[in-house]
Amino acid sequence: MRDFKQTLKKVGGAALFLAILALLLGVLSRGVTDLVTKNDDLVPTRNKSTVKIRQEAGQTIDVLIVGDSLSYSSFSPMQLWNSHGMAAFVGGQSGQTIQESYYMMKTAFQKQSPKVVVLETNVIFRAKEGLDGIGESIRTCAGYYFPVFAYHDVWKSLVTGKRWTAEDYKGFQFRNTVTPYMGGSYMTVSRESRKISPVVKVYLEKIIKLCEKKDAKLILVSIPSPSNYSLATHKALQAYAKNQGIPYTDLNLFLKELKIDWQKDSLDGGDHLNLSGAGKVTSWLGNYLKKTFSLPDHRGEERYAAWENMAKKYEKRAKEILENM
Amino acid sequence: MKTLINILMDIDDTVDWEKEQALIDDHILDSFGVITLVSELEDAYSIEIEAAEMVPENFNSAAAIYRMVTRLQET
Amino acid sequence: MAYHTPVYLLLFLPAVLLAYQITPQKKRWLLLLGASWIFFWSVSGKLLIFLIGTILFTHYIGLGLETLKSRCRLEAGKPENDRKQIQALFKKRQRLVLAAGIFGLLAVLGYLKYYNFFAQNVNLLLEKAGRPALLTAKNLVLPLGISFYTLRAVGYMADVYWERTSAFVHPGKLALCLSFFPQLMEGPISSYSQTAGDLWKGSPIRSENLAAGAWRILWGLFKKVLIADRLNVLVKAVFDQYESYGGVVVAAAAVAYTVQLYMEFSGAMDMIIGSGRMFGVSLPENFRQPFAAGSAAEFWRRWHITLGTWLKTYVFYPVSTSRIVKKWNRFGKNHAGKYVTKLGVTAICLFPVWLLNGLWHGPRWSYIFYGMYYFTILLCGEALAPVRERILKKWNISEQTVWWAVPRRLKTWVIIVVGELFFRANGLKAGLHMFVSIFTDFRPEKLWDSTLLNLGLDSGDYLVILLGCAVVGIVGVVKEHNLWKEENTKRFCAPIRWAACYGLLLAVIIFGAYGIGYQQVDLIYAGF
Repeated sequence: MRDFKQTLKKVGGAALFLAILALLLGVLSRGVTDLVTKNDDLVPTRNKSTVKIRQEAGQTIDVLIVGDSLSYSSFSPMQLWNSHGMAAFVGGQSGQTIQESYYMMKTAFQKQSPKVVVLETNVIFRAKEGLDGIGESIRTCAGYYFPVFAYHDVWKSLVTGKRWTAEDYKGFQFRNTVTPYMGGSYMTVSRESRKISPVVKVYLEKIIKLCEKKDAKLILVSIPSPSNYSLATHKALQAYAKNQGIPYTDLNLFLKELKIDWQKDSLDGGDHLNLSGAGKVTSWLGNYLKKTFSLPDHRGEERYAAWENMAKKYEKRAKEILENM
Repeated sequence: MKTLINILMDIDDTVDWEKEQALIDDHILDSFGVITLVSELEDAYSIEIEAAEMVPENFNSAAAIYRMVTRLQET
Repeated sequence: MAYHTPVYLLLFLPAVLLAYQITPQKKRWLLLLGASWIFFWSVSGKLLIFLIGTILFTHYIGLGLETLKSRCRLEAGKPENDRKQIQALFKKRQRLVLAAGIFGLLAVLGYLKYYNFFAQNVNLLLEKAGRPALLTAKNLVLPLGISFYTLRAVGYMADVYWERTSAFVHPGKLALCLSFFPQLMEGPISSYSQTAGDLWKGSPIRSENLAAGAWRILWGLFKKVLIADRLNVLVKAVFDQYESYGGVVVAAAAVAYTVQLYMEFSGAMDMIIGSGRMFGVSLPENFRQPFAAGSAAEFWRRWHITLGTWLKTYVFYPVSTSRIVKKWNRFGKNHAGKYVTKLGVTAICLFPVWLLNGLWHGPRWSYIFYGMYYFTILLCGEALAPVRERILKKWNISEQTVWWAVPRRLKTWVIIVVGELFFRANGLKAGLHMFVSIFTDFRPEKLWDSTLLNLGLDSGDYLVILLGCAVVGIVGVVKEHNLWKEENTKRFCAPIRWAACYGLLLAVIIFGAYGIGYQQVDLIYAGF
């Protein structure tokens, strides 16, 4: 009996230790999150979108777009606003992993109730396999529940006075150079279907469940990118989407319809699109969303006054860049 | 024992060889010291010290060294 | 699954601890063995057969030696036999078995680790002689920690041969000893008798051990994540682009690498020893405040101690008691005088030690150079010993006076840093280039203009590095002078201990060099 009491005391001590630790981390996380949300320049570019989404006024975003650098180079919320009055936000990160996509959505859902969630599919093939995958899951999960892990480096910006500024339009970034893609057609070679890693499947299912729970419609889109997509990726995604009953559009198959001109629209020889290419892809997305979902036109609403201003600035800048490209 | 102490004093005359009990563990006798000692012991007592004997227990004190020497002389 | 990763610290280690505790004591060795093999498999997959093969091979060599020994005793005991003759005969047989064992293990290690190096150099020689290349490079993958477990296995065989341990034991005991997962990746290179007892006992987990182990792991994380991984940014920048830098920047990078390597390797050791501690297994220490060393020889008694001990036990002493040395001794005493004889012995014994030390780190000329560098320095140290003693005596200087001790320590630091410069450089040529550039292009102003801030680290980083090193340094001084004992911590009440623990943990979380802008740095010694 005494032994038991001793053990209980020890276990209780350990539990108390962990509880205090969680409390400390919670308080720190809260402080750090408030700090960076007030001033996102404290955070390096890659983490910016996780802060920016927190800065958006509650219940204003109707379309949430997540993905890696393909997403924020190609989907322009301001263009969607200008043509349809849609309120979209790109929660993209360079080299985003599927785990990060998932927690990006969770972060967005804290204050927003988007009706549509667009997942750019390249994250599906960016899997860290095996133990690395588990490690990535731990890292992103810790970063979500205790943001102090994700933003821990903020002390450096405070101490050294370094600020990370970037021109940003609801997550979209201007890509303003041209390096043509010379490779020719790339969706012709019919090989076997590319494998989707088990870790990715786990997180895709989590994403599907999350969207269902939040009443958001999930759609998958592959952006034209010869470096990243092939018929093999198409087959894999097509099969997966069909199986799960999720709409999937592979824009790599509609280059003609989109009027993609590889001489003009490629940023870096077939990996990312530049602003010119982004215009074409976004124009498709706008029409697709309009046709498929009844999304409200927020233009003229008082709540969206800041959007109007940003849209004006965007239009001017985009015109300048396109003329100089 | 006298011969042994003389040999040891030859290696380092600042050490109180008869008192120290951790010659190896306290690095009083380093590995160079040990191999010098071994060759001197072999000559002085006409014995063969093999690699198997090269353990700290045999070299940690003058008494231990002496024990090893007498043991090797017997076989 | 390196020891500093969340997967190990948050999943693997706790899971094994839990499973260990609920397993009956008699079966715990099996659990540890299984966990160790899973650990191995998670990194090296099917190459696990190399480890298992080594275990079986070592076990049977040990049994062979042991059988010969008992047969020798039996035969020698018979009155009709000449005892000495029988002993000599069996000694010879044992030596053969041992040689076969060592050769077998080293052949595998040698083939996997050094074949390509050998092939490359043979081809280079042939090319110089105007002949076509003979050997083709092969795609060889090294099993996890082969350099470490091979040495431990060789040590076991020699220990059985020397009767320091008995081979008549459960094979599982040897298997566990060679595969215990905390030691798999980068040592310590313990001997069989150092860990076998603790591992086999399967003693229950005790909260003191758990707490002390956790502390040790946290301390290791502090060194690795806060300091080493941060310094890696600068070290990598300079060593990878060494042509672009010279003078004081290269010197700074060499110092930075020396610190990085210490923090990284000793930090990993803290995590390893802490992990072992949690299971009640005390693993031998690998570091003892190396920068407090007064000489290169002493440095090696404080740095990677278990490798030094291994080389001393299984190379240095066997060579020093070998026939060659004995012959030289006899020859030298008659013809060359005491000083030269002693120096000759030192050279004969040290050369293989340092050649192996260099080669062991990997198949690169720069590692061999590194070994020869220390060989030369240690030999010079021995050669100059009489001079040093004469000076000390003549001027009546005590070795402890500041004027003697401080320059001596600085000299040792320079030796260490130069050694690590060659050790890290991308090849011997690069190392020489960098070393020469320190003198041809010194330009001290680069230390305070903004050059150092353009190597990937900003002033905040340098601040953390300096503070971190200061903390490690203070702890080192305390340990060196035995100012603190583990039991003393109990005198503090729990809140203070907890606060200290939270402080260290939060320091690692907030100031750790992880996340955006930093690379995950693999354990350096796991690559050897």
